[in-house]
Amino acid sequence: MKRLVLALGLVVFAAISAACSSASAQPLPSGPVDASGPTIVARDMAFSPSTVEIAANKKVTIHFDNQDSAPHNVAIYKDASASEKISVGEVVSASKADQVVPALAAGTYFFRCDVHTNMTGTIVVK
Amino acid sequence: MSSRSAARTLSPVDVALRVAIVALVLSTAYIHSTLGGLLFTLNAFGYLTAAVALIIPLAIAIRFRWFVRLGLIAYAAATIIGWAIQGPYFMTAYVAKAIEVTLIALVALDFARMDGNPIDVVKGELSLLASKLGRRPATGSAGA
Repeated sequence: MKRLVLALGLVVFAAISAACSSASAQPLPSGPVDASGPTIVARDMAFSPSTVEIAANKKVTIHFDNQDSAPHNVAIYKDASASEKISVGEVVSASKADQVVPALAAGTYFFRCDVHTNMTGTIVVK
Repeated sequence: MSSRSAARTLSPVDVALRVAIVALVLSTAYIHSTLGGLLFTLNAFGYLTAAVALIIPLAIAIRFRWFVRLGLIAYAAATIIGWAIQGPYFMTAYVAKAIEVTLIALVALDFARMDGNPIDVVKGELSLLASKLGRRPATGSAGA
């Protein structure tokens, strides 16, 4: 019994350690930031608008307004595989959060709510 | 039926342990229910079902409470591992995981107090099942 509890404890500890290590904070981009970025609203478990445009090669602030009581964030990835993070915003419930997105090359990027991964959208960088 | 736990009345420590477990189960169920979305709602419902199964005074629930305990440990561990793989990593999630780690420890303690060694319990139950199926005689059992 003790060995089973110990083994289970080790598995849980390893799982939490892995989670903590991948949750490390990203460095904030330095330099001038364009504060006039788009506003993304989360309401009824969906993003509105689901497609936003931002300027290329310029740091931009995205304004996130979560109108749901459920927690959401805006997490931007290179593509829909969500394997390469670009900018992960704070998870908030029924409140607003600003998020500085680093300068991006022109192209199309993917964003989602990391809590509810079926909430997705597209960022078009021009 | 368990010769250990079904036969004896619950001590104050047993009752306190069970109350603490149910409180932790309901806490994590509540947290998951506030997250929205089908997956979290189903997770909360699973925890709620476990909380009921842990305390309901029905003969069949008492008979298979050992299974509820093992199932709850597995369910909480699966929830933690699923979260570790997929995230998201934010404060509420860390609180829920801390509750679930504590829950696993307390349920394991409850199991040890009420049912004994889980391997022996599972072996005994399998033996009992086999004997009911007419393959070989029963050698043990669990429950409470």
